Amino acid sequence: MNPGKFSRLITFLILIFFYIPIAVVVLFSFNASKSPVWVGFSLLWYKELFTNSYSIWKAFWNSIIVAISASFVATALGAFGAIGLYWGKFKGKDYIWIISYLPLIIPDIIIGVSLLIFFVFIKLRLSLFTIFIAHVTFSLPYALMIVFSRLQDFEYSIIEAAYDLGATEEIALFKVIIPISFPGILAAFFMSLTLSIDDFVITFFVAGPGSTTLPLKIYSMIRFGISPTINAISTLMLAGTIVISVFMRKYLKYIF
Amino acid sequence: MLGSNVEIKNISKFFGDFQALDNVSLQVKKGEFFSLLGPSGCGKTTLLRIIAGLEQPDSGDVLFDNKSVINIPANKREVNTIFQNYALFPHLTVFENVAFSLRLKKISETEIKERVGKLLYLVRLEEHKNKKPSQLSGGQRQRVAIARALANEPKVLLLDEPVSALDAKLRQELLVELDNLHDQVGITFIYVTHDQAEAISVSDHVAVMNNGKIVQTGTPYEIYESPANNFVATFIGETNLMKAEVRETNEEFVRVFAKGIGEFECYKDKEVKKGDKILLTLRPEKIKISSKPLEGLNSFHGIVEEEIYMGYQTKYFVKLDEGYILKIYKQHVNYLLDEKIIHWKDEVFVSWNPNDSFIIEVEEN
Amino acid sequence: MKYVSGYTLWLVIFFVIPLIIILSFSFLEKTPYGGVNFSFSLEGYKSLLTIGYLKVFWRTVWISIISTLITVLLALPAAYYIAKSKFKNLLLILVVIPFWTNSLIRIYAWIFVLGNNGIINQFLRFIGLIDSHIQFLYNPWAVILVLVYTYLPYAIIPLYASIERLDNSIFEAALDLGCSKRKAFFKVLIPNIKTGLITSIIFVLIPAMGSYAIPDLVGGVNSKMIGNEIARQLTTAKNWPAASAISSVLTLITLLGVILFVRNSKKEVLN
Ligand SMILES: Nc1ncnc2c1ncn2[C@@H]1O[C@H](COP(=O)(O)OP(=O)(O)OP(=O)(O)O)[C@@H](O)[C@H]1O
Ligand SMILES: [Mg+2]
Repeated sequence: MNPGKFSRLITFLILIFFYIPIAVVVLFSFNASKSPVWVGFSLLWYKELFTNSYSIWKAFWNSIIVAISASFVATALGAFGAIGLYWGKFKGKDYIWIISYLPLIIPDIIIGVSLLIFFVFIKLRLSLFTIFIAHVTFSLPYALMIVFSRLQDFEYSIIEAAYDLGATEEIALFKVIIPISFPGILAAFFMSLTLSIDDFVITFFVAGPGSTTLPLKIYSMIRFGISPTINAISTLMLAGTIVISVFMRKYLKYIF
Repeated sequence: MLGSNVEIKNISKFFGDFQALDNVSLQVKKGEFFSLLGPSGCGKTTLLRIIAGLEQPDSGDVLFDNKSVINIPANKREVNTIFQNYALFPHLTVFENVAFSLRLKKISETEIKERVGKLLYLVRLEEHKNKKPSQLSGGQRQRVAIARALANEPKVLLLDEPVSALDAKLRQELLVELDNLHDQVGITFIYVTHDQAEAISVSDHVAVMNNGKIVQTGTPYEIYESPANNFVATFIGETNLMKAEVRETNEEFVRVFAKGIGEFECYKDKEVKKGDKILLTLRPEKIKISSKPLEGLNSFHGIVEEEIYMGYQTKYFVKLDEGYILKIYKQHVNYLLDEKIIHWKDEVFVSWNPNDSFIIEVEEN
Repeated sequence: MKYVSGYTLWLVIFFVIPLIIILSFSFLEKTPYGGVNFSFSLEGYKSLLTIGYLKVFWRTVWISIISTLITVLLALPAAYYIAKSKFKNLLLILVVIPFWTNSLIRIYAWIFVLGNNGIINQFLRFIGLIDSHIQFLYNPWAVILVLVYTYLPYAIIPLYASIERLDNSIFEAALDLGCSKRKAFFKVLIPNIKTGLITSIIFVLIPAMGSYAIPDLVGGVNSKMIGNEIARQLTTAKNWPAASAISSVLTLITLLGVILFVRNSKKEVLN
């Protein structure tokens, strides 16, 4: 059944709705004036961003450090978790699935608040390290599910074939299971990276003084009102997003 | 001989409450081509997996060359499997799939090249050695699976319906190839199939399974010609089953009466006495169809109910005067020169030698 | 088992235990500068029963439900169109880009367009239509607008995935049997994409219920939601038991909601 005119109209309105505000933000990042009235093309705000914005860059590097380290840990733990759930036969799998789905169902703010209270309770000083812990925590279930659904594309007999040919458990793991789940592992890593760089709410609660990440920095800038510097950052981040989106599209099927 | 003999002793296996294997025992000789034949779900794969060590039985033992291997894990048993779905490693090329087990043994690169090369030559895949499994056809995948399983130089090769995923013509070709391969490598093959024609055409011995039990073991000839029971008779080839009552017996023959047919003689291959109820099997190709009765045979009059021309043979369904419908396959030797061509609605006589029917079940009086 | 242990341990320590902690703290006494006294008290919950809180709860619920409704109703025809379009790869990319775009940037885009100093107000001032500004933002409808904007891609993608998996011939069969297109949509498409529909509703409703940044940045004083209240109790009011109590109630509501919803829709599918 071909879609009717109605659904086509809705789709195009949605795309316009998606892109008009973004397009306006991008356009005005090249405006020569500080106020949002077009006066002419200029790269003034990019120059400002690259020369005069120490705190933004600091926040950016904080984000990068947290994202890379948290994604490594989350991907490793999540991938091994997925392999264990796929491979092993043991009791309690259901409970592991429940605690994997819960973080996806429970609102982010609850995860942020509960981690904040937990950190204060165990007297762990809020810092980049607590942000790292929080980011690993919320990325883990995604990493697990992505790798798991990749593994599910294969019949279990492939592992038995490895054993049958003389492989030990380690060899089956490193020569067969990890290589075949590698696209999933890669997807899990990039998913974790994106989730980490994107996160505002959870980070907002578990960040301490001096551990501002880029979203936190942007948030505090937005609270001061609109400014062409934010437009410039937004444009650059958008460019990065487009690259990621094109790259990640084929892995999206492992997420849904 | 390079192969091992395999002995299976009283194996039982439960999945929860469901009994997949019920006290199965088997003997497979060194180097023979042995088939496990049975309908879907009867436990063939389960038995094979127990031999491979991929599954543990609840009771019973598996012996290779008279030594128990029940405690040896799959990766140490001198047996390799060709899986029902081939289970090729999707991330490795054909060459690397075949080399997988050799690489585990720390064999030098030159020797690996040589041995894999030989195997790929054996299965005629040299040109495809750098392809990934996803780039191969079904028949080629199967051959990779064979080469991969042989690389380890196993003493026993287990094949789980290796041709069932392929089309009929290719199936025949690969079956012949498998048979040749078996002659070349000389190891023991245990071949699982639900296709009786496959099992009969290539095996030295066949075990017929049903509901987790072995119902008959024998050469293809024995299984086809003297089935042990109703199940084997109908599962393997086609047959006419007749219920009859024993009227008279002598040294070699029995005279029986069957409702719908009448009185006739049959070979006494089981001990029976007067008044016993028996089940007889008679293969359709053993029956002659003619316009006149034949001397010295069991002969009955009837009318051709249906005629199916198959090219190499014609199938007739003949309704006897008393009502029984008999299946008859007539092979065409000289089609047009055969005495008289018989057609639909013709009146005919059907005749068979008393030696050709078998008693498969006896219900004593 | 050993492969799962790291994963499980991490989630138990940093997810399950913190949840248990806030649940327990919600039944304790507060201390003036944050933290708790370890003695039982229902004060945290009692403070929730004031008119002010009930209003915030109610507002959170209706804003979330309306946003979810609008989002899913828009997402359904769009997902369907994309799944059947010749240009589906391109269209999908166009939906996926906002999905991966930082949510603060997407909120900012609306502030930039509709804010008191945003381009629309500047433009209206520039052509002399107004002197000061029209306040488009800082009301519940602005919150709904930005919620829909933010979560629309989250609704489209699972719906798209489940429509894509469908065998096209079931529609042809429906049309062949005399169904109108509209009827085929409701009688054949919808029942067959139940899981996608459930996923997309959950993906929108839950973040909406727990939203913090959107009402904080584009909502006014009378469009604060539960999330803002939790943050206020935790940071400025330093009332941990109250923050824990609100969090526990919010968790409970979402969990119950999801369980009931999933169970009901499963039953319907079975019927
Ligand atoms: N892991 C398992 N758990 C539960 N039941 C099983 C398991 N494996 C097999 N079975 C059951 O045991 C029976 C025998 O299965 P098996 O795979 O051995 O059949 P098969 O003879 O190979 O059939 P096919 O020709 O279809 O491959 C089936 O009824 C099957 O459902
Ligand atoms: Mg099988």
